[in-house]
Amino acid sequence: MDRRTDGIAKNTGRAALAAAGLAPGVRAAGSDEIRVGLLGCGGRGSGAVRHCLAADPGVVVVALADLFPDKARKLRDALLKDPKYKNRIRVPDDAIFGGFDCYEQLAKSDTHLLLMATAPAFRPWEMMAAIQAGKHVFTEKPIATDVAGCRLFMEASRLAEQKGLAIVAGTQRRHEFNRIELMKRIHDGAIGELVGGQCYWFGGGIWYRGRDWEMTEFEWQCHNWYHFTWLSGDQICEQHIHNIDVLNWCFNGPPKKFTAVGGRATRDYSEQAKKVAQAFGRPDDWAKYNGDIWDHIVSEFEYPNGARCLSFCGHGPGTDRSNEKIVGTKGVSDCARRILDHKGGKIWEYEGPSVNGQEQEHVDLIRSIRAGKPINHGIRIAESTLTAIGGRIAAYTGRTFTWDWLLNASKNALVPDPSKWKPGPGLFFPIPNGAAPLE
Amino acid sequence: MTRRGGVSRRRFLGRSAVAIGGWATAGVAPRVAFTAATETLRVGVIGCGSRGTEAADNCVAAAPGVQITALADAFVDRLKGLKEKYKVPDQRCFVGLDAWRQLLALSDVDMVILATPPGFRPMHFAAAVEAGKHIFTEKPVAVCAAGVRDMLEAAKRSEEKKLCVAAGTQRRHDPRYVETMKRIHDGAIGDLVSAQCYWNQGGLWVKPREPKMTDVEWQLRNWLYFVWLSGDHIVEQHVHNIDVINWAFRALPDQVHSLGGRQFRTGPEFGNIYDHFGTEFFYPGDVRTISMCRQIQGTTGNVSERVVGTKGVSDCAGTIAGEEPWKYEGPTPNPYVEEHRHWIEAIRGGPYLNEARQVTESTMCAIMARESAYSQQQMKREWFMQRCELDLRPRPDLKMTDPLPVTPVAVPGKYQLPGMVKEPQGRRG
Repeated sequence: MDRRTDGIAKNTGRAALAAAGLAPGVRAAGSDEIRVGLLGCGGRGSGAVRHCLAADPGVVVVALADLFPDKARKLRDALLKDPKYKNRIRVPDDAIFGGFDCYEQLAKSDTHLLLMATAPAFRPWEMMAAIQAGKHVFTEKPIATDVAGCRLFMEASRLAEQKGLAIVAGTQRRHEFNRIELMKRIHDGAIGELVGGQCYWFGGGIWYRGRDWEMTEFEWQCHNWYHFTWLSGDQICEQHIHNIDVLNWCFNGPPKKFTAVGGRATRDYSEQAKKVAQAFGRPDDWAKYNGDIWDHIVSEFEYPNGARCLSFCGHGPGTDRSNEKIVGTKGVSDCARRILDHKGGKIWEYEGPSVNGQEQEHVDLIRSIRAGKPINHGIRIAESTLTAIGGRIAAYTGRTFTWDWLLNASKNALVPDPSKWKPGPGLFFPIPNGAAPLE
Repeated sequence: MTRRGGVSRRRFLGRSAVAIGGWATAGVAPRVAFTAATETLRVGVIGCGSRGTEAADNCVAAAPGVQITALADAFVDRLKGLKEKYKVPDQRCFVGLDAWRQLLALSDVDMVILATPPGFRPMHFAAAVEAGKHIFTEKPVAVCAAGVRDMLEAAKRSEEKKLCVAAGTQRRHDPRYVETMKRIHDGAIGDLVSAQCYWNQGGLWVKPREPKMTDVEWQLRNWLYFVWLSGDHIVEQHVHNIDVINWAFRALPDQVHSLGGRQFRTGPEFGNIYDHFGTEFFYPGDVRTISMCRQIQGTTGNVSERVVGTKGVSDCAGTIAGEEPWKYEGPTPNPYVEEHRHWIEAIRGGPYLNEARQVTESTMCAIMARESAYSQQQMKREWFMQRCELDLRPRPDLKMTDPLPVTPVAVPGKYQLPGMVKEPQGRRG
């Protein structure tokens, strides 16, 4: 075990100092540095590392890892040019890790805290390696793309609990002051018993990445990861999880029953896919490069108290929506700032300060580490990820099933074993037809 | 043309009824009383497929003194079953796309069952009203905005003419539903704050296209799969459940947003309809409800409704849970017969019944949801009613030999909804 990390986690004696605004030494030597490594140096990773740097002046970035090490080097160069953070970027060449095993190398690095922002397919194994190596973790959402992955992540989360390690997830709404205050009131019964709710993420499409440099099919899929369910979990999992997580927050746990419909009505990248096919010398076999994710899923989540809630998500040309609503016997709430009675009268409105949740999540994480009371949101983010995956499986199969079945009996496992993560042929699945076998 | 005015006929029957002891005002009439005292009611069936045949049987079973005396269908083979069963003479059996006109011209037909594919319904309904017939209309009653407007106009006319109109939304005649709704409306579950309705099922029949079939014949025989004929399955089938939610709320949704597509039934034999819709309706006061419908083989079935109030929950069909739990324990007659019984009772002088507007409104909600899914736009009812120019009505002189290419399956973004300029609907959550 990394003694320094252990030092942060266990050093409860310094909590008082932290509370007094005096950063406690987190290393034996008495420094207050938090040594951070980033896994996944794409758009989200570069955002997360900046939010982490902004969250605490003791954060020092000491290692960067990405499947494509060029991305890590580019990010280091960009951070070194940033006047706000350049003095806290200390990433020598030998702390830049690449390749499919970069997560293992990073886990062995001299770090306290790892930020994880790769494609979610790999996260359960990345997490297990990090926790076994004694690292605190900030993980982007979602944390897996299949049921097996959620189970492995839960195992890692329980191990983290035993080892006193922190896990905070990139579901930033959980860290926004307004929502925290609002949820306290909802849980205290401000709108009575919860009897319904809705959550939405419907918006425009996303990027499609071609074969931008010399790489194998498997690597290209990882580069263009959003378009393959085994890599991204589909949009309901990758994006809409934010809103689903808010509903789960309202109910203090996941749904008990899943029903969904959906399909792929408009998503079409034929032109780009044909170019990719050309680049791989398979011009006639282009359709698979179009990806296999859907573009709309409408789910019903039935929570343990019987409340049936709507989840409505997708990408398309239609009306944009992205928010949540919760309905109780005594009132309703936008899940953000306001509680109204059923006649529209105001019961409560948040009037306190606002924070940027994407920064606050790092503040909360580091504060908990420094205080020796590490936050562990691992099980919760795994449950929200599994909720989204449940909606997806219900839609792909057209079948209704329970949370118990999903968590304990489903054989859903899309991501291959890490020994198979290597340059070579891609892993392609057909686009689900809405009546896929339920397994 | 001498029309048998609905008014005079009803007055006549009403007088008879009064003469034999005023059963009309006594609620459920003893059958023997009006059997003895009333003349035979003569029914014409327009659309003699399986639904029309069942409706005819239900109608005859609903009350004594009811006879099937005239038939019309586009195809002779579809008409054969009823013709033989009810011994309808040749000269009162009409075949072809204009058969309905000939049937409606028969002055001794008192009442008609309209059970053709719903694309024709507004035209048939309006003509039946003009002909002064009492009408049993299958649901849905239109497939497009223009058809809805025709129906609303004709519904008004039918009320003015005091014609009795029953609709094939049989839940409205099912005592389990009726008794539950009374309680919901009396506040048994408090104010309604949430609801769900579903028609999720497997696949349905397909009739293979034979070489001799014209475009029109092939589409008519497979009418479920063509939007101009069926309205898509959300309209054709799920309208039942949407109607129940409208009934519970005693209001229509003022907005809708739907997503849908065609993921399983992708072959040309399935015409141009979708196989799934996931819809959110917004009722007054921003009460949001889920509607889900699917026709995909091998998937989990569920045809039901549920409403949630501040004090309880109900399945709308005989059960209320919550502060005032209740369970319906009365008789459960066949609602497909009951709808005809109520219709016939009204014609014979019982409480006036005209469901034309109500079934049109529920049909409109389903069409609106379909158009929301086809365009992916959130849509206001007001916009749909006032601005939507969607017109899928068949030409009144449609011929079996007319070329009729299949319009493409709606692809959101490419699909053009007539009347929609850009995004005039506004947003709400």
